[in-house]
Amino acid sequence: MTVIESQSSSLAPSLRAVAVVVLVAVGFFLPRLLGGTSVAYSTLTTIAIFAVMCYGVDIVLSYLGEVSLGHTLFWAVGGYTAANLSVKYGMNGWSTAIATIGLCIIAAAFLGVVTLRTREFVFSLVTYAAAVVAYEIAFNWDAVGGSDGIVGISALKLPFGFATYVGGTQEELWPVAFALLLLTLAFIARFRRSRLGTTALMVQMNPPLAASLGVDPRKVRLAVFVISAPITGLAGWLYAYQRAYVGPDMFETYFLVMMLTAVVVVGRRVLVGPLIGTAILIAQQNLLSLGGDWNKIILGSVLALVLIFWPTGLIGLLRRFGKARA
Amino acid sequence: MNIAQQIVNGLVLGSGYACIALGWTILLGVARLVNFAHGQLYMLGAFATWYAMVKLGLPYPLAILAAIVALAVLGALMQSAMMGLVMTQNLTSLMIVTLGLGYVLQGGSALIFGGNPQTLPGTLSRAKVDLGSLWFTWQDVLVLVATLLLYAAVWLFTQKTRFGSVIRAVAEDPKLAELFGINARVVYLLVFVFECSAVALGAALVAPRSPILTSMGFNEVIMTFVVVVLGGIGSIGGALIAGLGLGLFIAFFGAFVAQAYTTAAAFGVLLALLVVRPAGLSAK
Repeated sequence: MTVIESQSSSLAPSLRAVAVVVLVAVGFFLPRLLGGTSVAYSTLTTIAIFAVMCYGVDIVLSYLGEVSLGHTLFWAVGGYTAANLSVKYGMNGWSTAIATIGLCIIAAAFLGVVTLRTREFVFSLVTYAAAVVAYEIAFNWDAVGGSDGIVGISALKLPFGFATYVGGTQEELWPVAFALLLLTLAFIARFRRSRLGTTALMVQMNPPLAASLGVDPRKVRLAVFVISAPITGLAGWLYAYQRAYVGPDMFETYFLVMMLTAVVVVGRRVLVGPLIGTAILIAQQNLLSLGGDWNKIILGSVLALVLIFWPTGLIGLLRRFGKARA
Repeated sequence: MNIAQQIVNGLVLGSGYACIALGWTILLGVARLVNFAHGQLYMLGAFATWYAMVKLGLPYPLAILAAIVALAVLGALMQSAMMGLVMTQNLTSLMIVTLGLGYVLQGGSALIFGGNPQTLPGTLSRAKVDLGSLWFTWQDVLVLVATLLLYAAVWLFTQKTRFGSVIRAVAEDPKLAELFGINARVVYLLVFVFECSAVALGAALVAPRSPILTSMGFNEVIMTFVVVVLGGIGSIGGALIAGLGLGLFIAFFGAFVAQAYTTAAAFGVLLALLVVRPAGLSAK
């Protein structure tokens, strides 16, 4: 709670707007500031895409306090939608993005409605099971890709009427990933102040108060879950264009553990928390990698240790140091 | 297609599901805890048995015992680390922490046991029993008998002994139970250690049927969810019936519809049940 208040009141509005513009500008030119190499572009594009993926889980975990273990499903829905529609029907990026949003909302609404009357952990169980089952289907059903997946996804095309933006290389995809990240951040910031966002927080922080105001926590859960799905889905949509390939590996536990870790490592209910968390984790995996199995051990350990020893994340640690000094 | 053979297959599959799900049933139903590392613990139980038999040369019964002890120790360590979350009943964090620990177990097992599929050597799983047109293995008989005995023992233990009521008291209200002189931490620890040992036993019994890989475990988790929810959370008899019923359903679905989509079919059953009876079949 305090995090939200301090962020909106500590700076004058105009000063804050200037700070945001400067940050956005620096963010946009960050790959060039880091040398402009293709590694810089691809790493930062990956960070932006993965951060958007994490924000879907962030909404559910941070503001609702529930655990969705099924967001890899929406991630894969985005990837498979982009791949299938662009390869088989030659659709452009806008059409595949709209289809992604629609399919994610349908899938999330279905899972949410089915679990509407169940206890909280059954919700987590069902979302987890849904992702595993979707993996089985994607792996066995050749019409959507089968075990080989879909290769040779052509470059992302975004027609603007007069001209078409083509994202073929990592360098060309970076502006798209950056724009998607900014849109997501703006959406999350708006969500935090929205009626649904504040109600969700109330359900999490003070269930008796929510109940006395006539709020049904399960309906709030459903609404937040449905809203969160297309965010992760759009990340998967862009990921398909970035890799030019989708396959059943989009369902790997890696992505689920990644989403949860990125949200908790910096601290829940911090707007830029998942972005910083993603950046730290991807930097470790890309630049300080110890091999796949060790990376698994590191990622899983970070997730478990943070929740056991510092449930408030790095932000909580910083604050504790700040208080100790003052 | 032989209906009787599918019934046999169903009972074989189902007793395996019930056997693997026993620990979760107790953990979730009696102590109200969750463990998303269940699938990885199953994998580890299978590999511990494999390691004891192939690398250490132990006979099958001793290898089972070794796997149970190894996972009991691991379970004690895990639960000790999570005790703070357990005592505050922080289910949200517990779900995520166990998921993270499962991921660590998966990475660690791949490092230790390598990435190749292995098979558990077993004379029982190759000893076929032919009854006219029906066939099954002695391993299948062992799984069925062991599962029935285990469920009976656990049912008697939780319903008829004092310790059973102690566990339920702790699950209901850990702080109140402590006022009555019950050490809730020890109870939670023992229940979790039981869960890990039970899944080790289940793995040692069920895993000889098919090759084992360090990346396996997801299918077992889904089947366990379905068994536990279908049986009515925490109902021991319900879980046994749900396990056998699910096995029969899967055997027939696999034989007559599609072998590749059996997990999806089990999930479909779960969803249908959640809509019709959110509290499970055995709920009144």
